Amino acid sequence: MVGPMYDFLANPLGAVRSTFDKAIGSESDPSSFDGKDWGAVDLFRHFLFDQARLSQVPILNGATINWIKPNTLVRFRGMIQDMLGNELYVGAYKDGSAWRTNKFMDISQCPVEFNSPDMRLWERRLLYCVPVPGLSSWAESTSDVAVNMCMDSTSEQRDKRRRMDIEVVDHNDFPVSGDEFEFSPSAKRMKEDPKNEGPCSSHVILPDVDRDSLPCLVKIYDSPESELKLNDVFEFVGVLTFDSELPSEKVDQDEFSNGLCDDVSVNLPSNKVPRLHCVIHRKLTGYDFLQNSPPTEPKPHLVKEAREALLRHLTSILGNDGVAAHFMLLHLLSRVHARADNVAVGKLSLNLTCISKEIASVFGTKLNIVIKNLLPFTKCIPLTVEYLNTVFLAPKKDYQINRLIPGVLQLAEGSHLIFDETCLETGTLDSVGIENTRLLKALAELQKVEYDFQYYKMEMMADVQILVLSEGKSNILPADIIMPFQPSSSGSSDAVPAEVLEAWRWYLATVRSMPHTIESDMQKVVENDLVTARQADRSLGSQDFSRWLTMGRLISASFGETSLSLEHWQMVKELERLRIDRLK
Amino acid sequence: MKPVRFEEERNLAKDFLSNFADANGESKYMNILQDVANHKTRSVQIDLEDLINYKDLDEEFLRRVTENTRRYIGIFADAIDEVLPKPTEAFLDDDHDILMTQRSEDATENVEGSDANQKMPSEIKRYFEVYIRAPSKGRPSTLREVKASNIGQLVKISGIVTRCSDVKPLMQVAVYTCEECGFEIYQEVTARVFMPLFECPTKRCKTNNTKGNLILQLRASKFLKFQEAKIQELAEHVPKGHIPRSMTVHFRGELTRKVAPGDVVELSGIFLPIPYTGFRAMRAGLVADTYLEAMSVTHFKKKYEEYELRGDEEEQIARLAEDGDIYNKLAQSLAPEIYGHEDIKKALLLLLVGAPHRKLKDGMKIRGDLHLCLMGDPGVAKSQLLKHIINVAPRGVYTTGKGSSGVGLTAAVQKDPVTNEMVLEGGALVLADMGICAIDEFDKMDESDRTAIHEVMEQQTVSIAKAGITTSLNARTAVLAAANPAWGRYDLRRTPAENINLPPALLSRFDLLWLILDRADMDSDLEMARHVVYVHQNKESPALGFTPLEPSVLRAYISAARRLSPYVPKELEEYIATAYSGMRQEEAKSNTPHSYTTVRTLLSILRISAALARLRFSGIVAQSDVDEALRLMQMSKFSLYSDDLKKSGLDAISDIYSILRDEAARANKMDVSYAHALNWISRKGYSEAQLKECLEEYASLNVWQIHPHTFDIRFIDA
Repeated sequence: MVGPMYDFLANPLGAVRSTFDKAIGSESDPSSFDGKDWGAVDLFRHFLFDQARLSQVPILNGATINWIKPNTLVRFRGMIQDMLGNELYVGAYKDGSAWRTNKFMDISQCPVEFNSPDMRLWERRLLYCVPVPGLSSWAESTSDVAVNMCMDSTSEQRDKRRRMDIEVVDHNDFPVSGDEFEFSPSAKRMKEDPKNEGPCSSHVILPDVDRDSLPCLVKIYDSPESELKLNDVFEFVGVLTFDSELPSEKVDQDEFSNGLCDDVSVNLPSNKVPRLHCVIHRKLTGYDFLQNSPPTEPKPHLVKEAREALLRHLTSILGNDGVAAHFMLLHLLSRVHARADNVAVGKLSLNLTCISKEIASVFGTKLNIVIKNLLPFTKCIPLTVEYLNTVFLAPKKDYQINRLIPGVLQLAEGSHLIFDETCLETGTLDSVGIENTRLLKALAELQKVEYDFQYYKMEMMADVQILVLSEGKSNILPADIIMPFQPSSSGSSDAVPAEVLEAWRWYLATVRSMPHTIESDMQKVVENDLVTARQADRSLGSQDFSRWLTMGRLISASFGETSLSLEHWQMVKELERLRIDRLK
Repeated sequence: MKPVRFEEERNLAKDFLSNFADANGESKYMNILQDVANHKTRSVQIDLEDLINYKDLDEEFLRRVTENTRRYIGIFADAIDEVLPKPTEAFLDDDHDILMTQRSEDATENVEGSDANQKMPSEIKRYFEVYIRAPSKGRPSTLREVKASNIGQLVKISGIVTRCSDVKPLMQVAVYTCEECGFEIYQEVTARVFMPLFECPTKRCKTNNTKGNLILQLRASKFLKFQEAKIQELAEHVPKGHIPRSMTVHFRGELTRKVAPGDVVELSGIFLPIPYTGFRAMRAGLVADTYLEAMSVTHFKKKYEEYELRGDEEEQIARLAEDGDIYNKLAQSLAPEIYGHEDIKKALLLLLVGAPHRKLKDGMKIRGDLHLCLMGDPGVAKSQLLKHIINVAPRGVYTTGKGSSGVGLTAAVQKDPVTNEMVLEGGALVLADMGICAIDEFDKMDESDRTAIHEVMEQQTVSIAKAGITTSLNARTAVLAAANPAWGRYDLRRTPAENINLPPALLSRFDLLWLILDRADMDSDLEMARHVVYVHQNKESPALGFTPLEPSVLRAYISAARRLSPYVPKELEEYIATAYSGMRQEEAKSNTPHSYTTVRTLLSILRISAALARLRFSGIVAQSDVDEALRLMQMSKFSLYSDDLKKSGLDAISDIYSILRDEAARANKMDVSYAHALNWISRKGYSEAQLKECLEEYASLNVWQIHPHTFDIRFIDA
């Protein structure tokens, strides 16, 4: 294995090139590499995972973009917000007599004659990614490198210098066998770059980037389409490129001012949106956002301890309302497991009622802070008539720029939303407002969001936990559980030590993803209970049954168990009884 | 692969054009070319299907044409140049022709014609445009199936047009004249941008070293109409969790102005890259934009009548039609995830099929569309049924009685925000013309719409007299309504009429009216509990006892059935008339009539029977169809008034007996065949099991004798 010989971090393209040269040596026809990897990705995978060097790869975000150099290996964590379709590029071409590849690159090293027969067009997919909406501050990713760099910010200038020196040295002892490579225009160019342009220009200054929300245009190679879906949260590892030239295309544009030009490079100028040529991508789960995640087995005592402590904390936050705290815990654990017959199985939205404006001011913020501290993606939305009439909840396709304009409800899987209805006052909804309430209702009932493509609408599946705070039962957001809130104290707000929070986050992430079964004799008990309940109360429907079963699942999961026991089923019924009593 | 020689290819093309004979033996292309020569038409569409059907088909040639289409357009054009017949009709010379004659005279005089720029390009002489069309058979690709490997090939795609540019002239051949030597210089333009010539390249100017200035002659140059559009994937082609892709399409010449934003189209065209030019090439490096050079445009047919069957579908339908149980099978396949409700599903199926429209000699129209109203407690899957039907119907509009648009259900006159003119905008019912309009929350409809719906349901038009616009729009739509009972839930203590809360004038327009009640019963509760537990356990719905037919198959079957227009044979007329008069009498007898049996009811019977005949692919209505129609109507009433029957004290068994006795007395016979008996009682909404029970019970009372094998009935004369 020649792995260690490459500098994967500073010069990933070197590894790509040399593996390509090697592969082409054994197989002369480059068209066989179309849509396939020739060994480069394996090399990177080996480096990143087998050698566990992933943490050394700097993370690309608003803060680090200013010192990360182009053509180095970076990581980007984000949600796929839009898919811009495929892009054709000259994948392989002949430079003289040798084949060259342009994979993982934006700019060819030497001019390619477009219509020459020695040229292969390959394709790659463009994904527009943004940082996950509502990302909690604790879940923001930092890598070892990034931490170091940030702390070192005072000596940044010096540091830059040093890095550059390293890079030049890297080039000099570039390990690829042939001397020929040294003379290839690319190597020369890269070598000359820093010298010619001076130290400053090699660091691209991104003028208008909002430091908190750096989007990224990710170019995906060779992976099946079904792997990457809209709104998925991924970590992309790849080569960062951007060219600093400002878009001086105005002239070009005016020539065809028929307005159909929606070229990517125009709408997403690369000096604002960095490009990442993705080598390896992986889907992120709740675990990946824990800072020092020990993916330990869910030991029963650990789980039980965490449950007890968390429940105690929730109770004290909720002003000693134990029943509400129980429901809150179940609510925090819920997620959509499956969809059958238009029903999102597993969702458990919670509506805390009897909350006046005053109570909301006391508890609302506290709850918000607690949830922010526990879950990776959260958002709090105060509902007002004006908000409903103006906001764009659903993403909308803008055909002028050929982009999907994000809406508030374009969220990653597992996001948590708090809707504060207490500030809602009487008023008139206009057509936008009506549309928005319809969307909210669909989200709460079906866990689906309709994306507006103007000529048609497309339903996208969502998995969002919804917590509604309202005075009476919310009609805009019909929740699964209506829970009258009865605090007996104003609720404490003790600061929780960081490691305890971390343990709770680990607990939530772990038990949320546990499997669940109902044994057959238990199934009988449940069925009979359901039938008797319906005989007694005709108004019960499949929705109520479904809710009970979900609660049963969540209660057993909260104890770290994978099958429903009679005891837990009794707990469900008891909790329901307490709740119904309050409703009366 | 042997190298392709374009000379040979041209000969092949020539051969095809002059020798191809279509199904009628006409030489199709020579006729087109004659029209071209006579300047009657401009476009020459070469159908690849013809090439496939051509007797001397060369498979290799066909492959080459589909894979390198752009080149072959040139080859076919060259071939056409050679085989183009002489014009047979005189046509007015326009200035283009005059220019052409002058040029050809010049050309003969011109001895220096050897220069490339001076030779007249054949493009400028052509009056025609060549298009190569993909075969219409076979499924069009979705946008995401068009890959880099398709570059240069002829592809067929379907999509929705999202944007269109204006139609602009695109220079095809630029013509210059030289100030010095006076020669015409031609420059062929193949891209959207071109570099104009500035110096005269002729020998004369070169040798004299005069560097003659060139002046672009716009009138002499050849322009093409050019339009750019964007198409986007259809929603049904987008995999879950993905965003629809889009693609640029270029339309040239005769294909321009064929599409507008919002159109669903099928296009065949050549998938081509445009390399970036100039400055963008440097910046973008090595990326190529792609576009589709359109070759043909077909608008998608969304009406049943124009639904084109694909090869395998026809076979499948034929197989289904042979299956005796097709009626049940199709009905089951509607909304298979909704449990039970067989009769309602049957009614919905008939609604999809409909009956033929009749237009009498005196201009009176009788509608063929069936109207159906579902009424019931909340949460009995009414809306789901409605939405499912809309999905199956090729053209369907789903709306609620309180539709959010200001246009409402019928139509409205609105002010155009741009031009300030008053424009007529159709509502849901107008948009669903020749289709199905599903109206949820029918009871919560605006009063104005409810009045208008009377007209729609019988006359099938929407009349408007507002803001100086008086007109009547077609709304030939089948109305499928869903409504809640008057007090939200069905109140058993009140009469059905009170519960339904819709005016009789409106109710009588519905062919069928169903009441779906959520009744307390242990079995269904257990069924529901099991279902919910199963879903939670297995993360999917329990398997159905049968494999439902795909919606596409349903659609194909229904569209095939809709082509028939069955008639009622003479011998059945009497039968239907008796049944109708029977219903009238029954109503007259009861002191609290629930139904309004009018002539509309008779028409309903005919409509439902015709729809049933269509389902059997039969051109004649059979008695079984009429019986089934009567049964459905009875069942629909039964769903409404079953409680009353119980109150009236008659149990099912004795009711069946009285039916049989009355029928036998009417026919003045002592023998009743089992089949007849079954017919009669099923019309009244009873089942075969109940009939058997009745037969046994009364046989033991010695009222009648039952034939041991055929179960025929013989009354014992008392």
